Amino acid sequence: MILALALAVAVLFGAGAYLLVKRDLVRVVGGIILISNAANLFIISAGLTRGREPIYPLEPGVRVSDPLVQALVLTAIVITFGTAAVVLGLVYQVYRGTTAEPVEPEQENPPLNHETEGQ
Amino acid sequence: MSDGALLLLPLAIAWFAALLLSPLDGRRRWVGWVAVSALGAGLAAWIWLAVRVWRSGPIEMIAGNWGPGIGIRLRADELGIAFALISILVLLAALAYEVLGGVHERALPELVLFMATGLTGVFLTADIFNFYVFFEIAMISSFVLASYGTEARHYRAALTFTLVNVLGSVVFLSGIASLYHLTGTLDMDAVAIRVADAPSGSVMLTAVLIFVAFGLKLGLFPFHAWVPLVYRDTWPAVAAILSAALANIGSYGLLRFGAGLLPRELDLTAGGIILLGSLSIIYGAIQAIGARTGSEVIAWSSIGQVGYILVAIGIGGQIGLEAAVLYALINALNKLVLFLAIGLRGWLVGASVALVAFSVAGVPPSAGFFGKLDIFRASVADGRNALIVLVIVGGALSLVYMFQFYQHRFWMNGGDEDVSPLSSRLLVLGLAVAIVAIGFWPEPLLALSARAAAVLPGGGV
Repeated sequence: MILALALAVAVLFGAGAYLLVKRDLVRVVGGIILISNAANLFIISAGLTRGREPIYPLEPGVRVSDPLVQALVLTAIVITFGTAAVVLGLVYQVYRGTTAEPVEPEQENPPLNHETEGQ
Repeated sequence: MSDGALLLLPLAIAWFAALLLSPLDGRRRWVGWVAVSALGAGLAAWIWLAVRVWRSGPIEMIAGNWGPGIGIRLRADELGIAFALISILVLLAALAYEVLGGVHERALPELVLFMATGLTGVFLTADIFNFYVFFEIAMISSFVLASYGTEARHYRAALTFTLVNVLGSVVFLSGIASLYHLTGTLDMDAVAIRVADAPSGSVMLTAVLIFVAFGLKLGLFPFHAWVPLVYRDTWPAVAAILSAALANIGSYGLLRFGAGLLPRELDLTAGGIILLGSLSIIYGAIQAIGARTGSEVIAWSSIGQVGYILVAIGIGGQIGLEAAVLYALINALNKLVLFLAIGLRGWLVGASVALVAFSVAGVPPSAGFFGKLDIFRASVADGRNALIVLVIVGGALSLVYMFQFYQHRFWMNGGDEDVSPLSSRLLVLGLAVAIVAIGFWPEPLLALSARAAAVLPGGGV
């Protein structure tokens, strides 16, 4: 199980990092989301223990699995979600502000004045 | 008022004010002033808390009446209070400045209040995951704040800032998860005890993760690439908030996690940390001399200035940590005034920048002099002669770039017709005079940073 999770984290993180260095901003956001979720899986793997589900009443002497990481990862997922929404909003604003995403090399519109100064 | 309620007071004020103001249009003057007074009330609550802690020691409470070791612990000690007072003061000044000049996006006052909530929580919590949650509250407000402005460049700066800092948060979250895995607890005190028994290799890796995360927030030398890009293009008041309030999380985090939870790892890597700090100082200063626009000069300068904090943390011990706290606080004040001054025109602004320039360079009598002096003392006590040279050379270089900045800004561009409102200029001048006043009467700040350093295990005499 640890190995499976480690592989999943590695693949997610690798794919995210690959997307992050792309020039397409939407892919960059995809990369951010993948990397954040790699971290969420990492939290789960940090508290991976074998045992019964931790639901009250507990039988004495029986090991239960760690419930805390579930709570942590739930919080982290919500934060990831919120961050992703904010980043997408920003990308949209950048897209609207520059009319063409800085991705496409063959953009029709001439660069705006403030782009050329101080770059 | 009971201790627990007193602890929740600054948090509650900022949070409820932010929630209540959210539906309102922040462009209206009165909404802005309500937000400013809420921040003022939050600051007053912090001062009340500070007086209480100063007299009778740290205050603690466990949220939700859970037993110790189960619930989330909140704690106000001198270290958190020192950083909180400065950060909330910075937010207050920056928001007042923006309201005086005219807010032009509806969410600004609310976002500043949400950031105050996040910062207040970060400085109050004694639980590492709770730290992360409040840290993200502050970060997400800062992502939106960074896009404040009307031009496309503001959005682009915000996007750069957001992408880099989300990565930093992911690294930090991984560090928190590793600490939990190694110690089985989230409580800071328990982590500090149990981490000593954990396998040292894994702890070192965790320490590196946490160092990288806070290094990114601070904009230290190898992680600095985003700093000039972002500070050049964001709105002046927002740049002030990001660099003088939000970046405090970085220095506070390095102190709390590095010196507080992982002192052994900090000791082992002290040489490397001092080296990174020194590179930051020199590289930041040289780039600042070569920078063209005012905000770029200050951005590069801030990379150099945080180098001093890192050097002081690397030296460690009561004297080093004390210097780190003091330098972080004074640096926040300096950058607040410098970034606010960039957005203004008129002769009073020039006077303020001149006053703060001496503080950045560490010329007496100004607050910056005592920051440099403390680092100087720490280097001497540690017998590191190279560092003594570094502090002097760094100070000289900062005098050069601050003078260049002043010359460009106020001599060569003379005769600007559109002078900024007198009230904004008076606010900035007042802050600059306060920095000089601290230089004349530094004892309260010195005592506060000494007590703050004594909270940490490496500190205390």
